[in-house]
Order: sequence, then C-alpha cells, then structure tokens
Amino acid sequence: MNRNFTQTIAVQCDDPAPIIELLEQWDIDQASADIMGYMGVRLLADRDNPGQYLIVADFGVVDPEVSAADEAARNNERPETQASAARMREHVNGEPEWRHYDELYRTDF
Amino acid sequence: MDPVRTPGVDDHDTAEVHLVARGIATAVAPESGLTEVQADLLEAIASALTGVSVDYRALEPLGPDELADVLAGRDLGYRQRVVHHMVLGELVLRPIPVVVAHRVAKYAEAMGVKDDFVRVARRFAQGARGLAWKDLQRNGFVEHVQEANEGDLESRSAADRGAPAPFAPAEVDPELAARWTAFEDLAEDSLGRLVWEMYDGRGFALPGTPGGAPAYLAQHDFVHVIADYGTNLKGELEVFAFIGRADPDPKGFAWLATLTSLFETGYIATTGFFDRDLRERVVQAPGMHLRVADAIRRGKVVCENYGVDLFEVDYYELAGRPVAELREMLRVPPKGPACVDAGSVGLFALEGMSETQQRAIAQRQRGAT
Repeated sequence: MNRNFTQTIAVQCDDPAPIIELLEQWDIDQASADIMGYMGVRLLADRDNPGQYLIVADFGVVDPEVSAADEAARNNERPETQASAARMREHVNGEPEWRHYDELYRTDF
Repeated sequence: MDPVRTPGVDDHDTAEVHLVARGIATAVAPESGLTEVQADLLEAIASALTGVSVDYRALEPLGPDELADVLAGRDLGYRQRVVHHMVLGELVLRPIPVVVAHRVAKYAEAMGVKDDFVRVARRFAQGARGLAWKDLQRNGFVEHVQEANEGDLESRSAADRGAPAPFAPAEVDPELAARWTAFEDLAEDSLGRLVWEMYDGRGFALPGTPGGAPAYLAQHDFVHVIADYGTNLKGELEVFAFIGRADPDPKGFAWLATLTSLFETGYIATTGFFDRDLRERVVQAPGMHLRVADAIRRGKVVCENYGVDLFEVDYYELAGRPVAELREMLRVPPKGPACVDAGSVGLFALEGMSETQQRAIAQRQRGAT
C-alpha cells in the first residue's frame, strides 16, 4: 500500500509573503530535480489566530521499496532542505512546531 | 503495410521489433497485465513506424538489461524515442501504478536514457500532479521554447517562472490582428487564406484581437491546415502528436504527453490554452490508436526530412503559398489508409469539429442564405 506521509510546520510571522516566495521557489527547484518523495505543499492562514500559519507538506511513494515517511526523512537530510528551512526561520517569530502524520484517507482522484 | 512504399516506415529487423515490443510491454504492464488501451496504442505505433505487426497481448517478458542489449547498437535518440513510447504507455493509465512508473525508470536507466518525461510520469504516479505539471512546463516547454529569451525568464518572479510565456494569456495586438485579417485576401489554396477560413468559419477570434489565441499557440493552427487535421479534441491530439514527433528535439514529446494528460486521463487540469476534458477519453476512442500512431509516423517523416520545430516556422512568410507546395516543402506525407479508415477527417469536414464549432458553421451558413 502506498501510504502518503504529511509533515506540518506551524509558524508565527508578521508577513507570510516571504514564506510564500520561499515555497514557490522550492517547488520550482523540486520540479526540475531528481524525483523524490516530495509531492507538494500548502500554506494555510489561521483565521482565528492572525499571524499563525500552517505549512502542510505531502510526501508520497516513488519507489515501492521506500515508504513515504522514509522519503520525507531523506528529504530532511538534504542540504537544500536544511538551507530552505534556515531561510524560513529568518522570517518567522519563535521556533516552528513540526508534526508528522501518516495519511489514512484521501478523497481519490 | 509495405515499409518500402510507406514514408516513415523504416526497414526494421522483425526480430528486433518484437524484442523491443516485449521490453516496452514488460515495462508498462500493470499487475493485471497490459490494458486494452495500452495494447492497442503500442501495437498501432509499432506497426505504423516499422511496418511489423506485433500482438502486444501475447508477448513474453523482457527485462531492462536484455532490452538494453537489444538496443545497444542504436543511438541515444532512438533509445529515447523507445522510452517515450513507454511513457506514453504509462500516461494512458489512470492511475499510473507506482510500481509501473518505477519500472519504466529502471528500463530507461538500463538503456542509458535520462529523460524528463520518465520523471513526469513518476510524479503523476505519486500523485504529485502540481509538481508534474511544473516539471512538464519547465523541462518540456520552457527550456525548449524560451532559450532565446533566457534573460526575460530570469527577470520574472518565481511564480511567473512556473508559467512559460507561450502559454500566457494573449494580449490585444493590432499589428498581429491586421496580419491575420489580411489572410482573407490571399489565394483560395494558400496557407493564409485557409487558416483564415478555419478561424472565420468556426467563429474563432483572430490572434491579436480580444479573445484570440496567443501568437505562439496560433502557430499550431497553420499545422492544422498543412497536415489536414480537424479541430475537435481528437484532431488536436493528432496535430500535437504530429508536431511533437516532427520536432528534432525529443522534448517535443511534451505536446503529446500534455494532450494525453488533458483529454485522456485528466492528470493536467488546464494549460491556459486547453482545459481538461474527459467527456470522451480521446486515446481510447474508437480508431484513435491508429490515428495517433499515424500522426507520429508523419511527424517522424517531417523530422527526418525537414528537421525544424514546426512552432518555429515563419508561416507568415509562407502564408501566400499554396498548401500543396508547403506540404512538399515540409515533406509532409499523406495520411495512412488505416488512419483515414479509422476516421481521421480533413480540416474542413464537420466530423472533425467540436459541437460548438459545428454550430458556428451552421450559423454562418444560415446567415449566408
């Protein structure tokens, strides 16, 4: 079974524009890079808590022998991921909060 | 089909054709075996390009290393085209099983082919459709189309760089509109007059006018005239299969990959110039496997004899010349009999138009009486 994996990153910031720019650039870079588990990302603004944002990054299976969670772990170790995370920290207040989820259900295509 | 008399059909070693077919079939088969669409399409392509009839439903497996050995004497371009046939075999699957996409990558690797479309198919299989479309645009179109405008590309914002200018919404351009309007006055058998009739009859806004197609995209409409393909979804699939294969750069395959993903599987929602339409899956529609295969064959002939991306041709310079003369110049061979029997009609046949286009024609005829 190809179970997807999702990583959420809760952040607080005054202006989400630099984060959006970072995520757009990340997607462009990933689109031309070798295939790995990264599927895409969403940035959500908390309507009840202005300044709170949630980054939702999805990972999927590209090699039947490697789980999506392992793909995400490999992604975290990549220098470009570390660099991107460091750049994001420059634009947020406090420490981001990371959570990790296995996907149990998704409305299918 | 007689390979000696049919343009685009090379003289192939029958044994090699069967071995390649075995490799392709093994690479793209889902767990339950090749689907009907896959088998029909791959059979039709093999037959159109080699003149050898292969029953894709009854082939023994052939592994990646064995296939690589078979093709060891072939150049990279040839091997890359074989990989593209595999990718096409994947792209008609919905969903594409991860194991299939991964397997095709292994075959490509064994053949020494590093191909962006293999990666695009893997992204579709993974479910990363947004990233796949960015990948397809960036590596299939942008780098290919925009090489001359690299400076412009770098100066655009990150978001804009994800969307190539050729697919950007058209702007009103009076000069361009005037050029298209002037086509009406050209000789009846000329490229310009016929492309103008195609637009006028169907109620299309001329390029450069409000609602008109972008100038870059309008290039493919000249090819509709020259290659004589209709303008409904099936005709569009034919014309882009033809254009893609006519392109000496293998990245031309992006056109067929994109149209298949729009009109067969729906992996792509919109390109800006076409929107997803799955009311009738075009590849699996009756006869379409033969029509697509023939378009690929015709494109191959143009590629080998003319060798220019058909999007790069200056059709405005050629607009006054008879279409028959331009077909000769571009070395466009006639459609194959199997393709015509399968329903490939000419540009001005009603059957080759969408319902909307047919209504426009009928309205125009009522207005004339």
